[in-house]
Amino acid sequence: MLPTSEQQALIEHPISSKVFLQGLAGTGKTTAGALWLQKLILSGIPPHQILVWTPQRALAQPYLDALRQMDQPVFSLLNTITLGGLARRMVDLFWPAVSRVVGVANPDLPPHFLTLETAQYYMAHVVHPLIVHEGLFSSLTINRNRIYSQILDNLNKAAIVGFPHHEIGDRLKSAWIGDVEQIHIYDDVQVCVNHFRSFCLAHNLLDFSLQVEIFLQHLWPSALCQGYLTRTYRHLIIDNIEEDPPVAHDILRTWLPEFDSALIIFDENAGYRYFLGADVESAYTLHRSCSEMVHFSDNQVQSLPITHIQSGISRAIASLNRKPEPSADLMPEDIRAGLETPGEKIKYFPAMVDWVADRIRTLIDAGVPPGEIVVLAPFMPDVLHFSLANQLDALGIPHRAHRPSRSLREEPATQTLLTLAAVTHPDWNLLPKRINLAFALMQAVNGLDLVRSQLLTAYTYKEFAKENAFPLQPFEVVPPATRDRITYRVGERYDRLVSWLHSASQEDPQTLDFFLNRLFGEVLSQPGFGFHNNLESGNTIATLIESIQKFRWAVGAQIGPEPFTIGKEYLQMVQDGVIAASYMHSWEQPDEDAVFLSPAYTFLISNRPVDYQFWLDIGSPSWYQRLDQPLTQPYVLSRNWQEGDLWDAEDELSAAFDSLHRLSLGLLNRCRKKVFLGMSELDVRGYENRGLLIRIFQQVFQQAQKGAA
Amino acid sequence: MILPDDFVFTQSNLQDYLDCPYRFYLRHIRHTRWPALVVDDAVAFEERGQIGARFHRLLQQYLLEVPETRLTDLAAADPSPDVLNWWQDFLINVPPWLSGIRWVEATLHAQLAGFHLAAKYDLVLAQPPDGLVIFDWKTSKKRPRKEWLLNRVQTRIYRFILCKSGSALLKNATVEPEQITMQYWYAAFPTAPISLPYDARAHEKDQAFFTRLVNEIGSRKADSFFRTEETRHCRFCVYRSHCDRGTQAGDLAAFEDEELENETDLQDLDFEAIEEIEF
Ligand code: SF4
Repeated sequence: MLPTSEQQALIEHPISSKVFLQGLAGTGKTTAGALWLQKLILSGIPPHQILVWTPQRALAQPYLDALRQMDQPVFSLLNTITLGGLARRMVDLFWPAVSRVVGVANPDLPPHFLTLETAQYYMAHVVHPLIVHEGLFSSLTINRNRIYSQILDNLNKAAIVGFPHHEIGDRLKSAWIGDVEQIHIYDDVQVCVNHFRSFCLAHNLLDFSLQVEIFLQHLWPSALCQGYLTRTYRHLIIDNIEEDPPVAHDILRTWLPEFDSALIIFDENAGYRYFLGADVESAYTLHRSCSEMVHFSDNQVQSLPITHIQSGISRAIASLNRKPEPSADLMPEDIRAGLETPGEKIKYFPAMVDWVADRIRTLIDAGVPPGEIVVLAPFMPDVLHFSLANQLDALGIPHRAHRPSRSLREEPATQTLLTLAAVTHPDWNLLPKRINLAFALMQAVNGLDLVRSQLLTAYTYKEFAKENAFPLQPFEVVPPATRDRITYRVGERYDRLVSWLHSASQEDPQTLDFFLNRLFGEVLSQPGFGFHNNLESGNTIATLIESIQKFRWAVGAQIGPEPFTIGKEYLQMVQDGVIAASYMHSWEQPDEDAVFLSPAYTFLISNRPVDYQFWLDIGSPSWYQRLDQPLTQPYVLSRNWQEGDLWDAEDELSAAFDSLHRLSLGLLNRCRKKVFLGMSELDVRGYENRGLLIRIFQQVFQQAQKGAA
Repeated sequence: MILPDDFVFTQSNLQDYLDCPYRFYLRHIRHTRWPALVVDDAVAFEERGQIGARFHRLLQQYLLEVPETRLTDLAAADPSPDVLNWWQDFLINVPPWLSGIRWVEATLHAQLAGFHLAAKYDLVLAQPPDGLVIFDWKTSKKRPRKEWLLNRVQTRIYRFILCKSGSALLKNATVEPEQITMQYWYAAFPTAPISLPYDARAHEKDQAFFTRLVNEIGSRKADSFFRTEETRHCRFCVYRSHCDRGTQAGDLAAFEDEELENETDLQDLDFEAIEEIEF
């Protein structure tokens, strides 16, 4: 595709320029960035001297693609980086140079980098006793895992906004105007933060927040690290700078003068990741470090009706927010062309799903590629995802989701392996219920259905076996008539499995991950067993084993219990939902030409425009309300928060309007042709919701009527 | 062709293909992870891999001018005595060879017959007048024969790519094969590095070899990545159960006898292939 005139003008800047490029989504900024990259390389700059910085790795893909698509030979590779990746990599490389001053107890030992999962584990390890024995958070009734994750969230915010972690509690308290209970909660948060940080320092554990702090406070200012970075990277391209947190901007501000060239791309009206610390104001200040400002205004995506609807939404929000704007030219034909709602009122949510599926089918019958359709909701709860997926399956329409619907711990393959591990280690006192074992055996042994598996375990499984006795007995204990029913072939496989488990139970303790590697390789993936040709389950089990391995590395080395205790601890943490709660990746290449089912923010951040969007559950306040997070507050912990200010209902409402404004405009910037509004009187949980988004669209329809009059 | 457009050939995936096309297909095209053991003594195997990785990291830090005294502190505190021994041997033997301009952990890329090839080097050194030395650190217990190393995919592809793409390091000056030497340094044999100079004949042979190889792989259909007939490769292959090629993993001693290496982590081309933490 030929560059637009705006893109052409940009790439005509000399390569020594430092350009701040801004514009709305859909104006071709990333494409221009990719063209800029190609121009750099064509001018003889080797790709390894170019750094592409994005808030998320996936956002660097257009640049990697642009490099690959070049006709002339490319002799090295591009470096793409995120703030977190840079911090982690620099700490790893230069650890010995700073480890004596960062406060860890063992500066001559390497650090242990915590994953999200292991950080959550250690947070539970530190905070659980405080909850149980010291009565912290006694007024809160939320799930403990949410307590742990919100405390981590606070620590991470302090690191990426750039204030000391010991100020978290005071900052939260200073903005609070409600009851005193909440003040106690914030005090408890600070106690937990302090305990966790001390624990990490005592054991050389680096969670995300500590990695970022060490990088910012000790490495970035050092000549060693900064010299390495400035020598290595001579040219910079940053995309979606508005989605990065303020400390990223601080680093870039001091780094920019060192680069031979820079292109910084700023998406106007975005900053969708504010709840992850994105800071639009601080991002924008980077324009002062650039010699050129370029503005893109030609939308390459939207049709005119969508542009008019976008203006209509802006006006509706302004009017609801009591800041009316002059009315403009929204006409009924814009609505007809750019918006569609169900013809009749829909009462229940399943009927709304039917309507959505029917409209999607109509579009596809008319020749629309499935990849040009996206179905959005503020969240995509399992029940909504399943209903939609079932309907689309029934119509034979390909679809994909931003994530599979089951977490690692819920995967049948995971449950099978962990159940068999528990059976092999009766000393853990975690023997499974009979039905769970029956389910696991059904997965593990070919030819065993649930009915026969239950029959089998009724005779062979001693659920309450005494004194750590191995609880499974051979097939021969099953009465002959039942054996006939189960079949001897299946019985022989069952015996092979049990005999393997029994021998393993007699061996010296081995780590849980290697035990599962062997169980999988030597039995469960052999002919006659459930995972023999099941490549997808192989991936699931590999993920499980990797999670256990990382857990062992992080936990075993630091706290030092016996390997078997780690296995038991892991199993308990899975049962408590602390770990293995993340969603499985699919290793299958996603089918790009498929209807995409996604939470609205995930779609926004993926930066991929489509022809048709379905917005579901538009009565829901979740389109604009903050998550209920009693232990944290993204606005108060941001850099823009003024000390001494109080967060009140008006702030909350204004924040709601602001996020709704950005979200709806951002979605429309990524829509070429039409938006379908999915509405039912009762939502997916059976509640009647009439949130702001419905009211905004009502105003938009009224504006169009006025436009006609 | 079922190779994705952005597929990059490296020494480890080409070695996989040469060992067994089906393994290449499963691991690099289908991305099938199959969680069986590579060798029987998984604990020792893991430990050796980790010790090797920690030592490599020390050398990398040394080359990036992290103070030597601190690195010695870390080596001394390392739970494995091997690390301190190797480190001391390194300090005695290697630094005199390291004069010149250094590129540490450099990654080079080349295009060949429309395909992408890449290599990540521990160290490339430019030495006067125009020499280019590739250093590769090894922590395996055995020191292989020179002939074996000469035929190794790693030696061939490292020298070949440096010859084709070294201009990216040298401000666009072209590189002749005779400028290049590959230098393997075995920590267990610190005074006897193995030096493998390159020349135009070897380069021509490599050009023909890699061209044939990438064309062959690129033209295969999914069902023509056959299982190897040399079942010895299956002993140390995680897919053995899927392929009905045995139950138990091969033993660690035999793995080392065959001069195989457990270095996948070190060959990872992607700096950012760590878990991207977003909270
Ligand atoms: S087990 Fe053997 S045949 Fe199967 S992929 Fe591995 S090496 Fe190839």
